[in-house]
Amino acid sequence: MSLPHRVLASIVFCVAATGVAAAQQPHLDQLRLIAPAAPGGGWDQTARVMQQVLQRTGIVRTAPVENIPGAAGTIGLARFVGSEQGRDDAILVSGLIMLGGIVMHRSPVTLHEVTPIARLTGEYEAIVVPANSPFRTLADMIRALKERPEALSWGGGSAGGSDQILAGLVAEAVGVPPGRINYVAFSGGGESLSAILGGQVSLGINGLAELEPQIQAGTVRALAVSSAERLSGLDVPTLREQGVDLEFENWRSVVAPPGIGSSERQRVESVIAAMVATPEWREALARYRWIDRYLPGEKFTQFVAGEELRVRTTLQQLDTGQGSGGTLASVGAYPTFVLGGLAICTIAALVVGRSGRGVAAARRPQANVSEPNPESRTPSPETGTAWWIGLALVANLVMAETVGFVTASTAMFWLAARAFDDRHPIRDAAFAVIMAISAYLLFGRLLQLPLPAGPLEGWL
Amino acid sequence: MLETLRALGAGFASAFALHHLGWALVGTTLGTFIGVLPGIGPALTVAVLLPVTFNLDPISAFIMFGGIYSGAMYGGSTTSILLNTPGETGSIATAIDGYMMARQGRGAAALTTAAIGSFVAGTLATIALTFFAPALARAALRFGPAEYFALTVVAFTTVSLLLGPSRVKGLFSLFLGLSVGLVGIDQLTGDARFSFGIPQLLDGIDVVILVIGLFAVGETLYQAWQYGRSEPEAVVLHDFTGMSREEWRRSWGSWLRGAAIGFPLGVLPCGGTVIPTFVSYATEKRLSKEPERFGHGAIEGVAGPEAANNAAAAGVLVPLLTLGLPSSATAAVMLAAFQQYGLQPGPLLFTSRPDLVWTLIASLYIGNVMLLVLNLPLVGVWARVMLMPRRLLFAGILVLASLGAYSLNGSLLDLAILYLVGAVGCAMRIYDVPLVPAVLGLVLGPLSELQFRRAMAISEGDITIFVTRPISVVLLLAAVMVLFGSRLLTRKLTTVEAGL
Repeated sequence: MSLPHRVLASIVFCVAATGVAAAQQPHLDQLRLIAPAAPGGGWDQTARVMQQVLQRTGIVRTAPVENIPGAAGTIGLARFVGSEQGRDDAILVSGLIMLGGIVMHRSPVTLHEVTPIARLTGEYEAIVVPANSPFRTLADMIRALKERPEALSWGGGSAGGSDQILAGLVAEAVGVPPGRINYVAFSGGGESLSAILGGQVSLGINGLAELEPQIQAGTVRALAVSSAERLSGLDVPTLREQGVDLEFENWRSVVAPPGIGSSERQRVESVIAAMVATPEWREALARYRWIDRYLPGEKFTQFVAGEELRVRTTLQQLDTGQGSGGTLASVGAYPTFVLGGLAICTIAALVVGRSGRGVAAARRPQANVSEPNPESRTPSPETGTAWWIGLALVANLVMAETVGFVTASTAMFWLAARAFDDRHPIRDAAFAVIMAISAYLLFGRLLQLPLPAGPLEGWL
Repeated sequence: MLETLRALGAGFASAFALHHLGWALVGTTLGTFIGVLPGIGPALTVAVLLPVTFNLDPISAFIMFGGIYSGAMYGGSTTSILLNTPGETGSIATAIDGYMMARQGRGAAALTTAAIGSFVAGTLATIALTFFAPALARAALRFGPAEYFALTVVAFTTVSLLLGPSRVKGLFSLFLGLSVGLVGIDQLTGDARFSFGIPQLLDGIDVVILVIGLFAVGETLYQAWQYGRSEPEAVVLHDFTGMSREEWRRSWGSWLRGAAIGFPLGVLPCGGTVIPTFVSYATEKRLSKEPERFGHGAIEGVAGPEAANNAAAAGVLVPLLTLGLPSSATAAVMLAAFQQYGLQPGPLLFTSRPDLVWTLIASLYIGNVMLLVLNLPLVGVWARVMLMPRRLLFAGILVLASLGAYSLNGSLLDLAILYLVGAVGCAMRIYDVPLVPAVLGLVLGPLSELQFRRAMAISEGDITIFVTRPISVVLLLAAVMVLFGSRLLTRKLTTVEAGL
């Protein structure tokens, strides 16, 4: 169904279903929101808030969220560019951290390849110390940092993420080489927060939204926030007030797939423009303590270019992600130990296996019964059972993304059942169809898991 | 204390409202159901349900989420015991002896001890959560990278009890798991390791895929491989009802120990439910008068880990509710759910929204009872799964395993890795290489490397950090005791035997 038809159909559906001609027409029938992170993180939250607002206000009829987590969003980006080329019904949530990921992991796919749509939100960061820390102000901390940078451990989020970038920018601004700061990366806010609370690190650097409840409760002391002005309701001085000429925010944005036409681009842009204008969106921003940073079109493209330069320079100075990926030479002591151990154990197991075969056979009589009595087995003797299962798996791999989940699973089920017993081909086929369809309806539809869809799924 | 009881009483009064009970029932049912399926965990379910629950009041939503959470922990044991296909890491330890029990026709007893153990441990852990949460959370903050490293060392020593009859093959399996754990981004520096230029490998190989591959797909392939070679074992179901008096006697100690091990380790965010369940398994084997029964259907090997994993699940809520620290994927999603309602979990939540916190805690008690009531009658039904024709059983396992692996990231590559791991699992079974050390290697290896290097970064490269901090020293000494204490003990026993 071409797009005008789809829009027309959805209008017809809308009118027919509600009977209210004045109901707001959806701009789009479907817009898939792809969050390049696991459930629970900032990008996932952004996508799920967008889903709520878009569906609730009727701007988009259905807006399913898909999570493609990993490697600071670069895995999701690579998949997005690879498989959504030219499609106008998908957008990817992206942001500052993705720029860091692209630089660090030397991602072959960058934000230049996608169609920029708009920046949406920003989040400030804060620098805090444990409640019993000797540092009372940022100046105390900077003095210690200048004296011996390595002695201060900074606890924050993943390597190359917004926290480390800010740490590098602060160091640079006060004249300490960013490469000398002792940044300890933790995975996710919870882990770094508990290290800060427990006084395991000298200072913590994290998103303000995560730190604010702790600051309010007095469990940590905030030295500075990264905003340009003092924030209302939070008695913490800015970096700039304390002589560090810097402002910083972790921004998030949306982008559309590469290769879409200008009219498609405008349609997606109008959806986002309509979304940010709704009271529901304002409400959500307040709830999550996000700052409204809506910036569409050409200005957004320029903004990204500027940020990219800043991130690249900072990360180079921080000296992260500079090792050569994937080669054996640069891996360090632990991997060498593990691979060495594996080699030794393999050799030992081969030697022991050869000399001790008799022992193993005696211990395991069951598995080594060589010639089964043909009379006792009712199904026809089938030496290739494992091969049939292998065929079932290969069939699923080949078919899943070409003909869809239901057909592929039916084939796999039938082949696997046939591997064990080939006497009920028709009954098994019926079981296979029922199993595949009910699994699809349950997981694909009810739980909205991302299952590969083919023509049959569209019809279901 | 009295104040806590009064607050809890108010929580119960609110939780017993009919609609709250309804949501608890929905949550526990959904959770059990999701736990049964390989790969689909409570984190994803709660995330998917978030928009649906937007119209609910927060208390109802959290009661439901709490139910999903404990239900999923419970449900995981079912497939482990009956089909040797643990769907998540928390029920691997259960599979070792649970599946052997099922093959001996004692599946119903294994399921019953898992259900009652989950109830007992879940309830005890909730009591501990009620009265000691703030103190425990503060104690947990004393754990830094050095302490977590020492804890992973303790967990590694449990591997020594799981190596199987051939030490060399066991170690081979362990190093195989450690090697797979190397793949992916080095979390401290951001460098890619062994990703071979494939972007999907940057994040490493998901433990869930390895577990489903080795166990579910591997078992299916192995059964197929055996098909032409040996008689299919006839499974005789002795009964469809619970446990014998003897099994009760064996179980109750394990439940209590499992709860005592699981709860504190759940409060410490470290490796999810793997460490508590395996530490519990190792403890049971160590304390048993007949350790040789372990691996051949010892009921203590099911009762302990199942209790530990439910107690740990309640433990995870301690840092979440008292400090606002999410220490597991599910907790992170729950935190996001709090924010959806404009609530900031953290040190102030207990004072700002006591109604919500106490109703949630009260509903955990209720959810535990519901799980027991829901699941005990189902034991007989589940146990009959073993009587299904094998061809349909294994075909169904393949479909569900593939669905679970694909839906993790929506990636065909994950499916290919799943099948490859399945083939490896089949080969390991054929050559008598134990599977469990590989899983432990994959989970514990990266964790202990990371914590070790973090500790070294904080101490600026001074290795004495591990022996100058009291908790770390105690844990490391405990690890040494486990490793060498047993050797001394065995030596003594062999001399005694030789003397006889």
